Amino acid sequence: MSLLNPYFLFGSLALAVPVLIHLVRREKSEIVLFSSLMFLLKVPKQAIRQQKIKNLLLMALRLLILALLVMSFARPYLTQNTNPAAAATNNRGIVLLLDNSYSMRYGSNFDRLKTEARRRIDAMGSGDRMALVAFNESATMLGQPTADKNALRAALDTLEPSYSGTRYYEAFTLADRVFSQMASAQRQLVIVSDFQRNGWNRSSRESVIGSDVKTEFMNLAVENPTNVGIDSVSVEPAVSFARTYTGRVIARIHNHRKDQPVTVPISVSINGKEATRKTIMVAPNGTTLAEFTGFDLPIGFSKGRVRIEADDPLKLDNDFLFALDRREKLSVLVVDAGRARQSFFLRQAYTSSPDLPYAVNVTPLQNITPEELGKHDVVVLNDVPRLPDRIRDRLDELRKTGQGQLVILGENADTGWWNSYAKLPAKTTQKIFVAKDRGRSSVALTTYDHNHSIFKPFETSTKLALNSAQFFAYVGMEARPGATVLAKFEDGSPVIIESAKEDHGMLVFNSTVDNKWNDLPLKPSFLPLFHEMVSYLSRYNESQGWYALGEGIPVVGGLESAAAAVIDPNGDRQSLGQLSSGQARFFTPTTPGFHEIRVGPDTRVVAVNPPAAESNLEVMPPEDLIASVQRTQGESQQAGFFDEEDRQEYARHQTGWWYFLLFALLAGIAEIYIANRAYNKA
Amino acid sequence: MKIQNLELIARTVVEGFVNGLHKSPYLGFSVDFAEYRQYMPGDDIRRIDWNVYGRSDRLYLKLYEGETNTRVLILLDVSGSMNYGSGEVKKIDYARIIAACLSYFSYHQRDGVGLLTFDTDVRSHIPASRRSGQLFNILAEIDRIEPAKETAFKKPLRFLAEFLSRRGLIVVISDLYDEPENIMAGLKQLKAKGNDIMVLHIMDNFELTFPFMDAAQFEDMENKRKMHIIPEYLRTQYLAIINDHIARLRKEMSGSRIDYTLMDTTKPVDEALFSYLAAREHSH
Repeated sequence: MSLLNPYFLFGSLALAVPVLIHLVRREKSEIVLFSSLMFLLKVPKQAIRQQKIKNLLLMALRLLILALLVMSFARPYLTQNTNPAAAATNNRGIVLLLDNSYSMRYGSNFDRLKTEARRRIDAMGSGDRMALVAFNESATMLGQPTADKNALRAALDTLEPSYSGTRYYEAFTLADRVFSQMASAQRQLVIVSDFQRNGWNRSSRESVIGSDVKTEFMNLAVENPTNVGIDSVSVEPAVSFARTYTGRVIARIHNHRKDQPVTVPISVSINGKEATRKTIMVAPNGTTLAEFTGFDLPIGFSKGRVRIEADDPLKLDNDFLFALDRREKLSVLVVDAGRARQSFFLRQAYTSSPDLPYAVNVTPLQNITPEELGKHDVVVLNDVPRLPDRIRDRLDELRKTGQGQLVILGENADTGWWNSYAKLPAKTTQKIFVAKDRGRSSVALTTYDHNHSIFKPFETSTKLALNSAQFFAYVGMEARPGATVLAKFEDGSPVIIESAKEDHGMLVFNSTVDNKWNDLPLKPSFLPLFHEMVSYLSRYNESQGWYALGEGIPVVGGLESAAAAVIDPNGDRQSLGQLSSGQARFFTPTTPGFHEIRVGPDTRVVAVNPPAAESNLEVMPPEDLIASVQRTQGESQQAGFFDEEDRQEYARHQTGWWYFLLFALLAGIAEIYIANRAYNKA
Repeated sequence: MKIQNLELIARTVVEGFVNGLHKSPYLGFSVDFAEYRQYMPGDDIRRIDWNVYGRSDRLYLKLYEGETNTRVLILLDVSGSMNYGSGEVKKIDYARIIAACLSYFSYHQRDGVGLLTFDTDVRSHIPASRRSGQLFNILAEIDRIEPAKETAFKKPLRFLAEFLSRRGLIVVISDLYDEPENIMAGLKQLKAKGNDIMVLHIMDNFELTFPFMDAAQFEDMENKRKMHIIPEYLRTQYLAIINDHIARLRKEMSGSRIDYTLMDTTKPVDEALFSYLAAREHSH
């Protein structure tokens, strides 16, 4: 018999109260002077004894009533008897859950796991069937359920520790599915794991293991494990435009030992060569940050590694990989009409800090040559009246090779000419002076495409607002077929239009950037908007310093359609197929290390690290874990896992509380009767 | 309690009691003529002086000066149990007042009054007499007594039976904590010698109702013996036993023509005087 509400048993403490009162009062009995005990001594002992018995009986009845009430509230139920016949035939269905997560690499844990698994296989009875399920972040069956011990041993031999994290829920879900396939009279689930707490997500959904499954566990956790690991490394930024890296590589080192601090040397190496080194002390169960900067980088991708020289049983988390990309600065050519200060704000925007990835060259239109145009990543046509034909044709050609172009139309623009420029994604109409034409002092940029990357800073920051700038005049325009309006004024007129994909990167902005037609250059939103437009046009992407194992890594197609592939740390090539221009595909690495991603002629390097959470070997009590995933009979019934017959049987097993309540009632009636008799007599 | 106080109480009680009566009971028992008084309706016609009637044709009563022909001996129980009192008045104090009242009343009735105090033995004995100073001696003795020992009627009553030379009225004031046969044996002996006996059974209200609730150690005030008692368990049996004791005493005394009055210390002492008067009248 078990109890549904065992906490009600605390109510049985109330039983001690009358007994205690009796004992306390007995201890404290007073002395009463009485004239003579002559008559009291004559009272027959028999009568006293009878009265005593009567009172004891009353007390016993009252205690019984209390006990019965407590028991009925505790909701007793009869546990299902295991079918002895089934047990006798040894017809068991066993699922062996084997943890091969990265934390099992700690010391000899994985060997112990295999030894335990072999022992379980050897102990199988003649009618038993077993399924081996390996689990880390996902769960995999090592072959079908079988009674063949040799097959099970062979499957076990193939099992290796993974680099993945731990997720118990997936393992239990798979185990439940396996049980549903095995028509065994008795179901047994054995979990062999280090029971890392990180592997259990407390918000995990409903219980998955049936109430009839007998669960066992083998806890391989080591008490007070010795482990120092690198939790994470922050690489900010992951792209450098200078030879000397001026960003910061910050490593978080955690000492998982709870009783003593540890001092470890920590170093950063770039492309296999140690760049810098220091020694740090980490408090027990504490974290220390180590910061590195100022090392030199060659052009292109560099493979970085942070390493702590700690002598602990889990080696894998002593290394942390990252990738740095040193690039030449983006070459931006600003072509203007040659008027004084026309490109002042624009130049300032791109050169305000030496860390900015832009190299800006401002040239008047009359000095520009078609050859000069080809030397730059992005060309900004800043309010030029019109383009000479050769320049226009050259720009059309260069766009096809990947050059980005930003056309700014303002007071100098010949709207008729620009309207006739068929490659321009916008049809220009006339210059609009807001005060005169719209009857108001100014208009604001109020609507924009929130998903477009040029507006990313405005989405991620609450301090930047595009609508703070006032526009007093602009060139009226509308989008050509296929082109996209990215931003609009409050009156609905387009502000920024992007060319259709087949015409490649061209953006049109229809107001000046010299503080005449608007006050945008004086607003905080000016710099991020024009940085993002140029970065977008140059296809410049900030790369990420590292990815976690299991995380999807985006692979994006270049300007032309090209084959994509990934070379993993072991040198194995995995094809990602043909990627058209701008198409993104994700691949999920399974091995930690440096991966090379090749798209056509371009190669980039990404660092992949195993999940840092595995370094934390804190243990969750296996009983708690099993209690979290195993259904109670009530849950099983609610979930509809019982048929009608089971339901009736279940209900029968739970009716015990009625009997307890009935007995309490009968005892109450008896108590009233006896008490009445006793007191009436008195 | 001072003797003067005791006397004052006795006088107040007795005179208050006497004034409340419709007729004067203590005149008429003597032989010495005192005076005549005109007949009033309600007077005993036997006392009309017919000679005077014959001479004057008027009805006169003949009044005599009182002269005792009774000796009253008060037997006062001074055992330890008499010291019990659930309320303000202890049984012994109640008995003291009754004894004082009876002494005062009898003395002024010109009866001979005596006092014998006893517990297991005779503690003090003032033989009945009507000499001057007798009342003072008795009241002084009543005041002096201090209850201590157990109760046993056998020895004191035997002593009395041996040494009491003249018959008279014996008033026993006691809580009668002895076996009825022991009590009755002595009393019957005295009765056989021609004495009139009046027993005032003094009991505290708690002894008669036993209203105790909490379990406690009960200590006997006579022999200091202790007993752990749960009143709830014993009450019924105890009340049955004590009522049986009283009933037996009442029955046996009634059978032996002994006046028996149960006195609850919560009741006024008048009742004792009524009983006394009834007994006194009976003794004539």
